[in-house]
Amino acid sequence: MFDSFKTSRHKELPLSKDSSNLFLKIMISIAVFLFAVTLAGVLSINSMLINWNNSILGSLTVQIIPVNDANRQKAAEDALQQQQKVVALLEAMPEVKRAIPLSDEQLKMLLNPWLGDDVDMADLPMPRLIDVKLHHGAEIDYNALAEKLVNVAPQASLDNHKLWLNKLINLASGIKMLALSILILVIGVTSGAIFYTTQTSMGLHKDVIEILHLMGAKDTYIAQQYAFRTAFLGFVGGIIGVVVAIPTIILIARLAQQIEGGIINEMHLSVGGWTAIASLPLFSALVAMQTAYYTVKHTLERMM
Amino acid sequence: MSDIDNMQPIMKMENVSLRYGIGPDVLRNINLELPRGSFYFLTGKSGAGKTSLLSMMYLAQKPSAGRVSIFGNNVNFTIRNSLAMFRRRIGVVFQDFRLLDHVSAFDNVALPLRVCGMSEKEIIVRVNELLRWVEIKRSTMSVTSTLSGGEKQRVAIARAVINRPDFLLADEPTGNVDSDIATKLMKLFVELNKLGTTVVIATHNENLIREFNYPQIHLQNHGVTIIPAEGNGYV
Repeated sequence: MFDSFKTSRHKELPLSKDSSNLFLKIMISIAVFLFAVTLAGVLSINSMLINWNNSILGSLTVQIIPVNDANRQKAAEDALQQQQKVVALLEAMPEVKRAIPLSDEQLKMLLNPWLGDDVDMADLPMPRLIDVKLHHGAEIDYNALAEKLVNVAPQASLDNHKLWLNKLINLASGIKMLALSILILVIGVTSGAIFYTTQTSMGLHKDVIEILHLMGAKDTYIAQQYAFRTAFLGFVGGIIGVVVAIPTIILIARLAQQIEGGIINEMHLSVGGWTAIASLPLFSALVAMQTAYYTVKHTLERMM
Repeated sequence: MSDIDNMQPIMKMENVSLRYGIGPDVLRNINLELPRGSFYFLTGKSGAGKTSLLSMMYLAQKPSAGRVSIFGNNVNFTIRNSLAMFRRRIGVVFQDFRLLDHVSAFDNVALPLRVCGMSEKEIIVRVNELLRWVEIKRSTMSVTSTLSGGEKQRVAIARAVINRPDFLLADEPTGNVDSDIATKLMKLFVELNKLGTTVVIATHNENLIREFNYPQIHLQNHGVTIIPAEGNGYV
């Protein structure tokens, strides 16, 4: 008499029609955008800090200043002789991996940002610089080394970068902590928004929830419907946020690369960093799902 | 079900009172015991508290005072998940149907089976069979809001009995159907009762009460009186 009915199952809770869905999607998109940009900043600062720390631990610079003499050529030759003695001394030390004097071209390049192209180096009392790399984990008594250097080259001075680089590291560490606080704040604000929109939605669907309960549905049955819906919104919002964030991060990186001086240039995002950013939609889906799930469970526990 | 379960009354109320908020008592000092496999009509004037009494029976309300036991368990000391499990053993036909308007008749009837985690294959077989029996036509596979009052009532009844409940509660279940269908639905309740389901039907329909001659739980002045069936009761 009748054909068999075929199921075209609709979810019992009509969550896809909630007016708060658009708000939540936009909110999550913005949150993921901010999260992605901040995370890129944190990861870049982190790589920069690692590089700087390696610089402190693994390198030092010896500077030989020419004697202030009217005969510049003699002063330069004298400085060059002292440089050779210093290199010989350093290379004899077991802690030193290599000691490479900077060429005139390299010195010129270092001064170029301040003095420009048109300066004749011969007119300047140019110091000689020796870039020294230490073996990994090597420990050096800097005071003793400074004394030895002065014995073979009276004009030599030692710079282990510690003083100025420590200030930079402290600054970068502070910025990193600030950025991490922003990340936590973004997660907190987004979770709060999901909490309140979920509670509002539960108020709207109070009758359906009551029917589900009376039919014997456990809290988890209802919570799962909210969790899956909110996870979907979190994922879609996350994709939108990441799609907008990626060109923004690339733009910021390019602007940073234009800064001269080599400090900011050390900021870069590794493959792991890009992978972390690309996986943010999954992370936002997970956060949204968990928040919605526990919000529903917590709210239902107060009902009979 | 254990032997101890079988010996317990399906539902027991001891000195139960119910009030909403700070209002007056709707029900006062109710003592009631429903043996397993019994059949009762719940009668009383409008506003006597029939729906309130039913709501405590189907575990939508906790009593303001006294003790309600269902399947031998005190409701006040039962954890939430156990309450859900008890509700799965109770079928309810609400006076206002309380169907999900945005889903089909099929999905409404399938609801108690889905919350139990039954497979869709088995759900299709059982729901189709019952929908045919209550004469819900194929054209009503659209959303429930498009059904007539009588069709909604039959869908609500189908939803209440689909999982063969131990305890069936119905609030005016024949109010929106013609006398032929009312008799057919009552016979369904009687058949379920013969299979062991305890049935309580709230009704104003004197003809139905006379025709099906079962004992009555009569509500008056916030309390209950049991009116036995005439003669040997319904045969």
